[in-house]
Amino acid sequence: MFKRIAHWYDEWDREILALLQQPGLAVGVRPGWRRAMADKVAELSPIERQELYRFCRDYRGWVLCRVFAKLALVFSVLGALFKLAIKPEVSLLQAVLTANALGLVTCFGLVSFWFNHTKYARSGRKALAKMVGLGALGGLYGAVLVVMFRGDAGQHWLELLPRTLIATGFGTLLLVLPGIGLAMVRNRHHELLTAQLSQEAEQARLARELSETQLRLLRAQIEPHFLFNTLGAVQQLAQQGAPQAAELTSHLIDFLRASTSDMRCEQVSLETELGLVDSYLRVMQVRLGERLRFSIDLPAALAGVQVPSMLVLTLAENAIKHGIEPSLRGGEIAVTARLEDCNVRIGVRDSGVGMSDTPGSGTGLENVRHRLRLAYGDGARLLLSEAEPGLLAEIVIPHKDTP
Amino acid sequence: MSVKLLVAEDEPLMRERLLGMLATDWPEAQVVAAPENGFDAWDAFLEYAPQVVFLDIRMPGMSGLEVAARIGRGAHIVFVTAYDQYAVDAFDAGAVDYLLKPLQPGRLDRALARLRDKLERPPGDVGDVVRQLTVLERKPEKLKWLKATVGKQIRLINVDEVLFFQADSKYTRVVLADSEALVRIPLKELTGGLDPDRFWQIHRGTLVNVTAIRAAERIDAERMQVLLRGSSEVLPVSRSFTHLFRE
Repeated sequence: MFKRIAHWYDEWDREILALLQQPGLAVGVRPGWRRAMADKVAELSPIERQELYRFCRDYRGWVLCRVFAKLALVFSVLGALFKLAIKPEVSLLQAVLTANALGLVTCFGLVSFWFNHTKYARSGRKALAKMVGLGALGGLYGAVLVVMFRGDAGQHWLELLPRTLIATGFGTLLLVLPGIGLAMVRNRHHELLTAQLSQEAEQARLARELSETQLRLLRAQIEPHFLFNTLGAVQQLAQQGAPQAAELTSHLIDFLRASTSDMRCEQVSLETELGLVDSYLRVMQVRLGERLRFSIDLPAALAGVQVPSMLVLTLAENAIKHGIEPSLRGGEIAVTARLEDCNVRIGVRDSGVGMSDTPGSGTGLENVRHRLRLAYGDGARLLLSEAEPGLLAEIVIPHKDTP
Repeated sequence: MSVKLLVAEDEPLMRERLLGMLATDWPEAQVVAAPENGFDAWDAFLEYAPQVVFLDIRMPGMSGLEVAARIGRGAHIVFVTAYDQYAVDAFDAGAVDYLLKPLQPGRLDRALARLRDKLERPPGDVGDVVRQLTVLERKPEKLKWLKATVGKQIRLINVDEVLFFQADSKYTRVVLADSEALVRIPLKELTGGLDPDRFWQIHRGTLVNVTAIRAAERIDAERMQVLLRGSSEVLPVSRSFTHLFRE
């Protein structure tokens, strides 16, 4: 019998510990009160679970028994001292039992306040009223028992009742108030910790996203397809002895150098960015021949405006990939920048096949939107519109120099 | 008779390079056409019936994969592609011929040697590889509606109701059960937007809606013609497409 109980307890103990580490397991617990417990555990915040886990692990099995024994010893000594020093008229057994009962209840209470701080801190007054009420009721019950067993006359009632109620109620209050205080302090600490942790997590997430974006950029720029096709073009020009070979190579070098150095900066000047776009389009122009014409128009006043690196390039690449290359007759790409109210508006317009024919996955544009969000929050936009023929993609970002 | 080659590549320098290398490495072969987009490639295939077709994968109009799907077993196909690991893996697995851009002389020699051996046998099927790679490509949207000018009106024509399309120089004749119209798009450019399982090419200048075919009949040992539901017109089937109607 004892063995079975011990076995059952051990299994349950293990289950709770496992749940504290992996709350997802709660789904697998068979329904019933154990499931209800498991669900409660799963609802805790990670910090609470961690604390509870450490407590449960450290006070498992015999350790708990030993702690109980030590506490009982301490309370027994206190009870004995109380009898010897303060009230010799009570019996030793009574004093020791009372001291143990009060002491252990207090310990349990404190542990409960310690771990259930969220609940008690949130409904502090309600919990207080409930506990004081319960305490008083307990006292009342005790008093009734005393009267019944002692068989005292009814005259005691009137005297006993208010006194018991006040004494027990006040006593509970004395016990519970520090408990709730403790819960509140713990709760505030916990909230601060949670806020700090989530802030750290957010920062880590942003940093990770930034590096992922850069990695994606790296992959996108030095796309083997682009590189191999361009080298193929260089090869052919060189074989023909065409002077364009040297020209194309130098555009490619410009492009590679600019893209590898820009990738390391989050922001570059619009002049630098459009320089990169220019070398990219020059490379593509040699490759596509008559199928591509392009123009870049940057007002001198906007040359120094800082923009997230390689965003305009992504738009230009999209214009080539989804506008010009799929078009039978090719087309024109016009890159423009202008000041509009307090915004800088950078547009890439192509006269290619337009939006309806390019239902691509849009990862490039998604990436642009994402980087704009990272850099400006809701202050920047990416706009796409039909350009009849073709497509106009625009980035609108706030101009910092304007008041 | 020399071997007829078709080279489809959209970038001019790449096209020149491939043509130049073919001229030196395979002088006895004759390049019959060097189109720069998928529409022209398919059209040139129909016109010249080459034995070997070099197809760039990324091309305007129809992609090389779409053209290959239409050619089927009609020619030996060699894909030309810049680095794309998916494609290369698929080609290797399907034992399909391919060339990697930029073209390197040694590699081309090897590919050409293999190709010369293969020419004795009928072309293999590249269908599986093409289907596998087409899934990865973005699917061009199929045409649903056509706009045709009839007098002052612009008519909207549901593609499914079309019985057949016929090339008419720069225009295409669109024939329905109760009427017909001319659209301003050449047939070869329409082809790419139409579902190849629904509209069969039975002639270089004719695409017919499969559901409108009543019967195909033999004229003599080589020639066939198609009879339609809802129209008394009789459409000739060119020799290279008679296989569509063989049991």
